Amino acid sequence: MKLQLPEDDLVACVACGLCLPACPTYRVTGLEIASPRGRIAAMQAVQLGGAPIDAEFTAAMDACLVCRGCEVACPSSVPFGHLMEAARATLQPRRPAQRRFAEWLGYRLVLPHHGLLLALTWLLAVAQRLRLVPNRFGLPRLSFRSLRTPLDADAHPDVFLFTGCVMDAWQREVHRAALTVMRATGARPGLPGVHGGCCGALHLHAGLDDQARALAKQVIASLPPEGPVVVDSAGCGAAMKDYGRLLDTDGARAFSARVRDFSEWLAEQAPLPLRPSGTTVVVQDPCHLRHVQHAEHAVRTVLRGGYQLVEIDDDGLCCGAGGAYSVTEPSLSAAVRARKVDAIRAAAGDGPFVVASANPGCAMHLAAAGLTVQHPAELVEEALP
Amino acid sequence: MIELDALARTIAAANAVVVVGAGTKRDVGGAVPSGATEVRVPAGMVSYEPADMTVSVLGGTPVALLDGALAEHGQECPLDPRDSAATVGGVLAGGLSGHRRLRLGPARDRLLEVRFLTGDGRVVRGGGPTVKNVTGYDLPRLLVGSLGTLGVITQVTLRTQPRPQHSSWAVSDAPPDDVRDRLFRPTCLAWDGRATHVLLEGHPEDIASEQARAGLRRVDGPPTWPEHAHRGRASVRPGALGALAARLEEVACSWIAEGGVGTVHIGTDTEIALADARAAVEAESGWLLRETGAPNLDPFGIALPNFELMSRIKDAFDPSGKLNPGRLPYTRVAA
Amino acid sequence: MNRVIEVDVEARVAWVEPGVLNLDLSRMVTHLGLHYAPDPSSQQACTIGGNVATNAGGPHCLAAGVTSSHILALDIVLADGSVARLGGLEPDVPGLDLRGCFVGSEGTMGIATRIAVRLQPNPPCVRTLLLDFMSIDAAAATVSAIIAAGIVPSALEMMDARITRAVEDYVRAGYPRDAEAVLLAELDGLPAGVEAAVAVVDRVGREHGARTVRVAADAAERALLWKGRKSAFGAIARIAPDYYLHDAVVPRTRLVEVLHQVYEIAAAHELIVVNVFHAGDGNLHPILVFDARDPGIWDRVHAAGDAIVRACVAAGGVLSGEHGIGLEKRDLMPLVFNVDDLDAQARLRDAFDPDGRANPQKVLPRGSRCGETMRVPEGAWV
Repeated sequence: MKLQLPEDDLVACVACGLCLPACPTYRVTGLEIASPRGRIAAMQAVQLGGAPIDAEFTAAMDACLVCRGCEVACPSSVPFGHLMEAARATLQPRRPAQRRFAEWLGYRLVLPHHGLLLALTWLLAVAQRLRLVPNRFGLPRLSFRSLRTPLDADAHPDVFLFTGCVMDAWQREVHRAALTVMRATGARPGLPGVHGGCCGALHLHAGLDDQARALAKQVIASLPPEGPVVVDSAGCGAAMKDYGRLLDTDGARAFSARVRDFSEWLAEQAPLPLRPSGTTVVVQDPCHLRHVQHAEHAVRTVLRGGYQLVEIDDDGLCCGAGGAYSVTEPSLSAAVRARKVDAIRAAAGDGPFVVASANPGCAMHLAAAGLTVQHPAELVEEALP
Repeated sequence: MIELDALARTIAAANAVVVVGAGTKRDVGGAVPSGATEVRVPAGMVSYEPADMTVSVLGGTPVALLDGALAEHGQECPLDPRDSAATVGGVLAGGLSGHRRLRLGPARDRLLEVRFLTGDGRVVRGGGPTVKNVTGYDLPRLLVGSLGTLGVITQVTLRTQPRPQHSSWAVSDAPPDDVRDRLFRPTCLAWDGRATHVLLEGHPEDIASEQARAGLRRVDGPPTWPEHAHRGRASVRPGALGALAARLEEVACSWIAEGGVGTVHIGTDTEIALADARAAVEAESGWLLRETGAPNLDPFGIALPNFELMSRIKDAFDPSGKLNPGRLPYTRVAA
Repeated sequence: MNRVIEVDVEARVAWVEPGVLNLDLSRMVTHLGLHYAPDPSSQQACTIGGNVATNAGGPHCLAAGVTSSHILALDIVLADGSVARLGGLEPDVPGLDLRGCFVGSEGTMGIATRIAVRLQPNPPCVRTLLLDFMSIDAAAATVSAIIAAGIVPSALEMMDARITRAVEDYVRAGYPRDAEAVLLAELDGLPAGVEAAVAVVDRVGREHGARTVRVAADAAERALLWKGRKSAFGAIARIAPDYYLHDAVVPRTRLVEVLHQVYEIAAAHELIVVNVFHAGDGNLHPILVFDARDPGIWDRVHAAGDAIVRACVAAGGVLSGEHGIGLEKRDLMPLVFNVDDLDAQARLRDAFDPDGRANPQKVLPRGSRCGETMRVPEGAWV
C-alpha cells in the first residue's frame, strides 16, 4: 500500500533541519523520528523507497501534534500540515478496531450531533458536581445555567459568531463574552442556523477527510452568504479558512475569505476604550492562530489597552494540546506542556497572572496544569468600561 | 631552502636537540641536558598578501622584523612584544600572547599553518594558509605552547589585522573588573594593585568618550612590566585576581596582572620571593611558570594535567625524545 | 545533555552540556548583555557539542574567530572510558593545548560531556548594510577592497542572484530580486568607529559598482536580513528539490577567479550552482542544485563537486572551512597533505584513541599511517 502524498511536496524537504527547534515533540525527545524532517523522511521512505507501513511508521505519524510550527520555520515552505493530514488519511482504514470505534463514537456520533453533545455535557456537569471528573482532565467548570441559557442573536445581523460544537457546550461563556464585545463595537452579531455545529477540524487532523468535507458543507450552509464570520476558537478558524482548499469550490473559497479570528476581527474595528487594569496577562499563541492563521498580533492589539502584556520567549512553541492529541498521546502531550508551563511561569515572573489563549483546546490543556486561562474575548469584556 | 635541509639533517643525526631562537626563553620549562645540539631556524619573510590578511615567515624571523614588514601595509600580527629580539617561532612555541590578549585573543588563535621538523628530520605541515580552515587536525594549536618538544617550527602562516587607527593608555584607581564593566572590550587592563592601566584602541572619538565615561586619566604609555632577576608568569582565573593581589601584599615582589585574562607577570629580587609568590598563586588555584632566573625553582610547580595523554602525543611526534628534552616533564610511556 | 549548567556573568563564561542549541545559549544570556559569538547559519538547530566537533564557523567568525577561539575548557570521555578536563578557565594551562587539539576533531578523539564557552559583550552599536551589484565580479572585488581599506567587518556575506530570489520568496526582507549578487556587511562596536567604517564600506561599494547601499533602519530589519541569509540553504527547494553543498576556502584575493570556475564547472556538467557564502573569509559554499529523480544525476553532481574542490585547492585553498572532513572529503585529504603530514595527524589521533574506536574511519584516509590496516573494532562508536 502506498501513501497518496503529492510527490513534489514530499521531495521539497531539503533536510536543512531549521524546523527542528520549532517542533515541540523534537524539543522534548531529541529524536529525529519525532521531528518534521524525520517524519518527512519516513513518508519518503514509504512512498518513494518502498518501506512498509508498519506500527513504527504509524506511531511516528501519530506522535505529531500538527501544530505546524515547522511550516513557518521552513524556508522552502514545505506544506507539512497537509502532508501529515494526507498521510493520516491513508492510515485511517488500518487503525485497530477499538480505536476506530472510539473515533466513531467521538467524531461521527457526538461531535456532529449537537443535541447529543449537549445532553452528554449535562451528564458531565452532574459528574463534575459529584467530583467524578479529575481536575487533570482540564474540564472547565460546567455551568447548568449557562447550558440552560441560549445565546442571543441580533436582528438584521451584519456579522456572525461561529459557535461550534464542544466550545458551545463547555465554554459558552466565551461566546457570550464575544457577543458582548462585538455589540460594544456597534456591530449586530448573528448566529449560525441549524447544523451550524462542528467545523470538522478534529476530523481532518485524524485523517477522516470525508466527514470533514461533509461538516464543512454543513457549516457553510448554516450561515448567510454575506458578512464576516467571526470564530473564537483558533483551531476552528484555521480549518474554516482552509475550506476553500478542502472542498475546492468557488463557494468554499469565498466563505473562507470571510472567516476572521475573534481578535483579528476586533482589531479591524475602531479601537474599544478599555479600563486599564494592573493584571499581568501572558499571551499564549495557539498554533493554529500563529502558524496557520498568522493572526497572533491581533490578540496583543485588542488586549494592550487593558492589560500588562507579557511575551513567552519560546517562538510560539506548541502547548501540547493538539485537539485530541492530549488524549491519544498523553505522555508526550504532558512533556510538551511542562516545557510550555515553565516558559509561561518564567515570562510571568513572581506576581499573579492570567494566560490569554484564543483556543479552547489550549485553554483546557493549560488549565489542567494549574494555570488560570481566559479567552481574549473574556479579558476584553472584563475591561470594558 | 638549503638551510632547512641542513637543519633537517642536523636534527636527524643528533641525539638531543635544543632549539634556540633569540635565547630569550632559555629558562622557560625544565633545563635541557648539556651536550644537546643547538639548532637555529632561519629567518625571513616567505610571502605576504595584505588583502588576504595572511603572512608567511620562517620560524627564526624576529618579531620586530615581522612587525616592521606588516606596518608598511598598515597591518600587524600582535605577538608578545616584550622581547623585540624574540623570534616568531620562539614566541609561538612559548605560547606567549602579549598584553593585548583581552581584546585580541591568545597567540594560538593567530597561527593558521605550521611547518615543523620532526625528530627524524621530516618536514610536517599542519593547518592551512587560509584564514578559516578545518581540514584535518589542528596541529598549529598543538604546537603553540609546546616549548619545542613536538617539532622544530620552521615556517608559519599567521593571520594579520589592520593596525588600530588610534590607541591610548589611561589610568583608573578602580580594580580591573570594575573598569571593564564600564567599557566595551578594552584591549588591556594592566593592574598593579593600586591602579588599572587601560589600553583602548580604535576611533579617537570612541576612545575619548569611553575614557570620559569610565572616569579614566590619560597617561603617556603603558605601565612598566616587572623587570627583576627572577620572573614568573602566573595563570589564575580572572575572578581570583583580587584575592591573589591581597596575598601578594605579603610577598616582596612587583607584579602586573592582566585584568579579564588572569595572566600575572611577577618579578622578584630573590628566588625565595618568587617561590612565595608561587605559593600565593597556587593558593588561588592557579599556577606559575618560571620565565627567568630562579634556577632552583621547579619550572611549573604543579603536576601537568593529562600527563599520560600529553606523553603519548610526545611519543607520537618525537619517539626518540630528542627534541628539547627536559623542557616538559613527559613520562616515557613507550619502551 | 542539553542543559546550560552555569553562567558566570562576571567571568563571561558558561558551562554547557553538548546538546545545548547554539542559538538557545545566546538567547539565554542576551538579557545579561552577552552572547556566544560563533553563529553558524544552522544555529537555531545545531548544538554546541556539534560546533565543537567541527570547529564550526558562521558569518560572525570573520572578526570574532571560529569555535576554537571561544572554547575555554572541555570535560571529555576518551575512547578507553577515562575522563579528562582539557583546557581550563585560567588563561594558560601547563603543557600542550589539548583543548585546541580536541576542538574540530570530529568526534575522533572522544566525546565532550561539558563545555566551557566564552561569552562576549553585546556591541553597543551595530549596522547592517545590504549592497547589491549587477555582477558577481563587482561584489567579489568589493569584498577584497573593503579589507584592503583596513576594515574588518564583523560579517561579510555574499549571495548570488538565484539564491537571493529564493530567500526573498521566503523572508520578504526586501532583497533585490534583480541583482546579480548582494553583499551583507555588518559592522559593530563603538559608534564613531562603526559610523566611520559604514562610510568606508558605502564608498568602496559604490566605487565598485554597488547599485544601492541600504542600511538596516532598526534591529527588526537587521534580524529579517539575517534571517534571509541564514535560511538560504533551507530555501533551496524553491529552485530544485535536492542540493549538494560544498565548503571550501580560498584566499580572499582569488575569490573572483574561483567563482568563475565554479560556475563554469557546473555549466560543463549541466547543473545549476548557487553561491551563498562567507565572502570575508573566502569561505565558499557552492551549492549544486538538482532533482535527484533525474536518472544519472548523481554521477554528474559528484563529478562537478570533485572538480570544484580541486579548483579551490589549486587556487591555494583548503578542503573545508567549517563543515569538516568526515567521510565525504576524507579521500581528498591527499590533495592538501603529503604522506608525512597525514602520518603526523594519524599519530595524534592514535595518542587519543589507540584502538580507533571513536568515530572510526572519519577524517583520515586509509593508509595515513605507514603500513596500517583499517578496521572498525568491535563495539566501536560510529
